[in-house]
Amino acid sequence: MKPRFENAYVLNVMADDRPGIVAAVSKAVVGAGGNIDACSQTVLSGYFTLIMIVSFPRQLAEGPFLAALMKPDRRESGFQVQIRPFLPEAEAPAVADADNFVVTCFGPDTPGVIYRFSSLLADKGINIVDLYGQLDGDQFVLISQVQIPKKWDLAMLQADLEALGAEQGYTVRVQHENIFIATNQLRLGRHAEQH
Amino acid sequence: MLRTDEILATIQMLHAEHLDVRTVTLGVNLNDCAGPDVDLICRKIGQKVARYAANLVPACEKVAAKYGVPVTNKRLAISPAATLLAGHGAGAAMAIAQALDAAAAAAGVDLVGGFTAYCEKGIAAADSVLIGSLPEVLSGTERVCASINVASRRAGINMDAVALMGRTILAVAAATADRHGFGCAKLCVFANAPQDNPFMAGAHLGPGEPEAVVNVGVSGPGVVGSALRRKLELEPKLTLGELAEEIKITAFRVTRVGELIGREVAAELGVPFGILDLSLAPTPAVGDSVGEILKILGIDRIGAPGSTAAIALLTDAVKKGGAFASSSVGGLSGAFIPVSEDAALAEAAAKGYLVLEKLEAMTSVCSVGLDMIAIPGDTPPETIAAIIADEMAIGVMNNKTTGVRIIPVPGGKVGQTVAFGGLFGSAPIMEVRNAGASGRFVGFGGRIPAPIQSLNN
Repeated sequence: MKPRFENAYVLNVMADDRPGIVAAVSKAVVGAGGNIDACSQTVLSGYFTLIMIVSFPRQLAEGPFLAALMKPDRRESGFQVQIRPFLPEAEAPAVADADNFVVTCFGPDTPGVIYRFSSLLADKGINIVDLYGQLDGDQFVLISQVQIPKKWDLAMLQADLEALGAEQGYTVRVQHENIFIATNQLRLGRHAEQH
Repeated sequence: MLRTDEILATIQMLHAEHLDVRTVTLGVNLNDCAGPDVDLICRKIGQKVARYAANLVPACEKVAAKYGVPVTNKRLAISPAATLLAGHGAGAAMAIAQALDAAAAAAGVDLVGGFTAYCEKGIAAADSVLIGSLPEVLSGTERVCASINVASRRAGINMDAVALMGRTILAVAAATADRHGFGCAKLCVFANAPQDNPFMAGAHLGPGEPEAVVNVGVSGPGVVGSALRRKLELEPKLTLGELAEEIKITAFRVTRVGELIGREVAAELGVPFGILDLSLAPTPAVGDSVGEILKILGIDRIGAPGSTAAIALLTDAVKKGGAFASSSVGGLSGAFIPVSEDAALAEAAAKGYLVLEKLEAMTSVCSVGLDMIAIPGDTPPETIAAIIADEMAIGVMNNKTTGVRIIPVPGGKVGQTVAFGGLFGSAPIMEVRNAGASGRFVGFGGRIPAPIQSLNN
């Protein structure tokens, strides 16, 4: 992605969720003469987090900009804000020659579950592109969308993850993303039509 | 990026509700195996089936593992065997059946369909050899399934073939008397037989089909039942229209699973993908039942008034969801009501709620016909033929496929339960009322002419 203006930054805002956060943040960006080039927000258990790529025609005076965000009209906004320069080369650490899969884990909640699964994935160079976890009673649901390099034998990887899950009483499944696309979306799935 | 709720909905359907792909059926045309030398025919059958089917089971397992969806049955369907029998006699029929049995075993599949003849207008010599061999073939082989088309929209009903099948079914039952007439579970009599049906026992590769092709049968009555139950728990005041909508959405999802798996297996095997048959095919497992869906739809006793309307709603909603999901829908595509293979239907029949005549009425609005029905072994052949004739008439007049797979249990009496094992399930022997009162009608023979195509009321 190429930002609109030359001086681009990554802006990260965290706050208790309430109406008006996006309006407040975008007001500060506009007020500083900037443009929002990309943005994504998530709310988790009442906490709001927002990541944005913003760019400005002139170098940003970070101090006044942060003050405008955190203390607009001399009142505390309650935002936690981080800003750092945007480096285009940091984009797309996509795994070469990989296929998209969904790993789902269901089992009793214990500390360290995500650590153990993610370590196994990291060890094999499997990139997690989306992660969702939710405690439901004493059961934990973990869903990760991952890119698995094609060099790995899928059956072996499934066996490794299932064995890891079994140690902790978890049911683990590795399924190609197309099954989820086919059953939920209007198209049959990426690449599937060509067969 | 996929949404979490989408992933969870699919996981629920696949793993909590046990959605599977019911069958991946590889069709292989064997017409080029024909010739005057029976041994050579049999050798060629073995070679040709092996060439296409050797990788069928591994390919299905590989694709099933990739998507986390089991492929329950892997099967073979061949071009109608009557073609191979042209110019041959009874000995050749059994030899060819045994060659098919062995080829199927070598490929690791449990059933091979296509011991088939088309006789809707007349019985050619080879057809007569094939039909005559059925008692020996269906008792002497394990995997071979037979189907005989005796009626069509364009030809009408060949009552000579119908009468012959009445006698043949009894002979097959007698030949497999030690297994309660189980041979008849591998024999379908059809009107308007589909050329691309992947479901046994009627699967075969009809004329107009490619040299080899992968056809897939999805199922999922359990998934439809669960979806309806869940929906009704949330909103008990739903109307039938809203319930039909829920069935449609579920059928869409189920169909998509089948198409994804089918296309990929076909690619693995290097043959074209043919069709997807989106029939709701029950299994004896509790919950995997079309009868159960009727109960959820409010028919407390299956067979009670309303059963036909309920199954019409179900069948139509399944077709609509499936047709939107895939442009490759074919085969039978509807709701099956095989009594022995559906725990809820078998129970309703045992309690006397569901009778033969009501089943027949239900088949007028759903695929595929009087299926897996056990009747007393002393039912006269003319009465069996007349049951077939009635069912064929429904198919011919309504321009749809209908079939009869009926098992006269040797020595069996009404009310006894017979078990056929595995996916074939078990069923009570149902009463055939007015047995023996149709002999003169069947005895006339000849052909019931094809129906008029206009004046449709």
